[in-house]
Amino acid sequence: MSTISVRNVTKKYGAVTAIPDLSLEVTKGEFIVLVGPSGCGKSTLLRMLAGLESITEGEVAIDGEVVNNMMPRQRNIAMVFQSYALYPHMTVAGNMGFSLKLDGADKAEVAERVNEVAKILALDSLLDRKPAQLSGGQRQRVAMGRSIVRDPSVFLFDEPLSNLDAKLRVQMRAEIKSLHNRLGTTIVYVTHDQIEAMTMADRIVVMNAGTIEQVGAPLDLYDQPANRFVAEFLGSPSMNLIDGTISDSGTVVLGSGLELPLGASLRAGAEVTLGIRPEYISLSDTGGMKVRCMVSVIEPTGPATILVVEMGDEKVTIEVTGRVAHRVGDFIDIWMAKEHCHLFDTSSGIRLDQ
Amino acid sequence: MDATVNPAVRQGQGIFSRYRRVDTITKLTVIAATVIALIYILLPIFWMLKSSFQTAAEIKQLPPKWIPDQIRLDSYQDINLLIPIWRYIFNSIYVSAAAALLATLIGTSAAYVLSRFRFPGMTLILVTILVTQLIPPITRVFPLYALIQDAGLLNTYTGLILSYAGFSLPFSILLLKGYFESSCPPEIEEAALVDGCSYISTFLRIILPISLPGLAAVTIFTFLNAWNDFLWASLLLNSSEMKTIQVGIGDLTAEGGGTRYVSMFMAACVLATVPALIMFIFVQRWLVSGLTSGSVK
Repeated sequence: MSTISVRNVTKKYGAVTAIPDLSLEVTKGEFIVLVGPSGCGKSTLLRMLAGLESITEGEVAIDGEVVNNMMPRQRNIAMVFQSYALYPHMTVAGNMGFSLKLDGADKAEVAERVNEVAKILALDSLLDRKPAQLSGGQRQRVAMGRSIVRDPSVFLFDEPLSNLDAKLRVQMRAEIKSLHNRLGTTIVYVTHDQIEAMTMADRIVVMNAGTIEQVGAPLDLYDQPANRFVAEFLGSPSMNLIDGTISDSGTVVLGSGLELPLGASLRAGAEVTLGIRPEYISLSDTGGMKVRCMVSVIEPTGPATILVVEMGDEKVTIEVTGRVAHRVGDFIDIWMAKEHCHLFDTSSGIRLDQ
Repeated sequence: MDATVNPAVRQGQGIFSRYRRVDTITKLTVIAATVIALIYILLPIFWMLKSSFQTAAEIKQLPPKWIPDQIRLDSYQDINLLIPIWRYIFNSIYVSAAAALLATLIGTSAAYVLSRFRFPGMTLILVTILVTQLIPPITRVFPLYALIQDAGLLNTYTGLILSYAGFSLPFSILLLKGYFESSCPPEIEEAALVDGCSYISTFLRIILPISLPGLAAVTIFTFLNAWNDFLWASLLLNSSEMKTIQVGIGDLTAEGGGTRYVSMFMAACVLATVPALIMFIFVQRWLVSGLTSGSVK
């Protein structure tokens, strides 16, 4: 278990700045997930931690020791790659024991450790196979096994589940989480899948354009997003965001002219964006703000139904438990839970109701 | 509910049976075409082989005698009296192997750099390599001869080896570049670095073993090109004991190989084929894998 400190790190590729001045502290044994859209710099940051990418400015320290100029092998880290990156000419056992062999461990020691880890990952019957003879899930487990065998101080995962099908992804997600519970090793995990981030992380780091938008526990980020980007990025279906203006009486007037009693403390005329998650809009009277709208899409998912309704010119997504009797084109009343509405500054995106 | 079967399908007269019939005709056509192509390719080789075991009279007999009455090995014993065949074969093995080794070494290094790094002028280098493939080989005769002469390498194996390696390099680099890009993704190297390898041990322990099929393809390509060459060996070497087997056989033709000593001529041709054939059989599994690896991920 190790701590990781990223201090004012900048990464430039020629004239392009991929990461401008980023700082982050990871505590011992923490499972931290870097999440963000493609090209936001999360994998670059992970590769800088691994030593696979040089650091233009700033410092990265593992357990207090600055590792900027250390080779990957000197950092005592292990990394699981998106493409598995298994050695195709070696067997599963060869792949898993490769790092120990390089460390000069004797054959018996390597075999013992490989068998031990293979049992944990249910790979013990596949040790003599080559990677080409394995399924995607098995390959992923071998990649993880290769990392675990070394007993590193930090695990780095670079979108390890993105090549797997949906069912296997859920299974592997649980396996990685239980592995973390068992080993307690510090994990830095990169993904663009916010469900993975929400379900696995102790803390989530939401990144955008090379900067950190917000860091915090998954549900804190979900319930109290610092800005519009985080609000929109976390959650599926994502948060409804509707532009409006604060009226003289302190209500929010939406583009369609609809007036909602929110934002009393804000300056009249301020341009705001109203945000509310689909599950906080109800089809029955739950005491929120009542709005009349028309159903335009119905998506039953089994346990829940997702409806898209037209509220003036705006489309709003609603998620309700179970099934609904409405049909496309029906006019219905919806109730928006006032306590779950957020207001964001339209130009800066910052949440105003903090 | 009872299941019923369409009578036409049950009796094999449905739409599928028609397709099956068409499929059989296609298969037979393909097999027939393959057999004709094989006969076309193999007939001269068979003629060469059987003639090497016959006397000159038997060879010239009409109608031709396809199967020798008796397997005679006299031609294989006597050929050394006409030309120093073993010396020529050794010369060919030496220049071909050296050229193959050199082309593989240089080609591997160049292809690795071109597949892994981005640097100014890289596109120009790649285009230049490609353009060299478009120039007719015969146009190289004068400039290259002058170059080898100026370098003082005329009538030396070094000059010939450098030429062969140079001819094969463009193809070798392009093939290996594609191979490195498709079969050795950078993540594998990165995984090795994280696992504890240095750059050199990554190359030796990971890249090299993975790239063996590609390297084998380039090696055999250069070897066979050099082995089969007649033009450059006859241009750049003039000392009789330095000749390669192809030039040696050429000399034999001028000394009655096509007439009086036709059976010895055929024996020499068989002997000239064997080393290349052995090498091909030895590495053909790798060769096929190496040539196709870049096409499909």
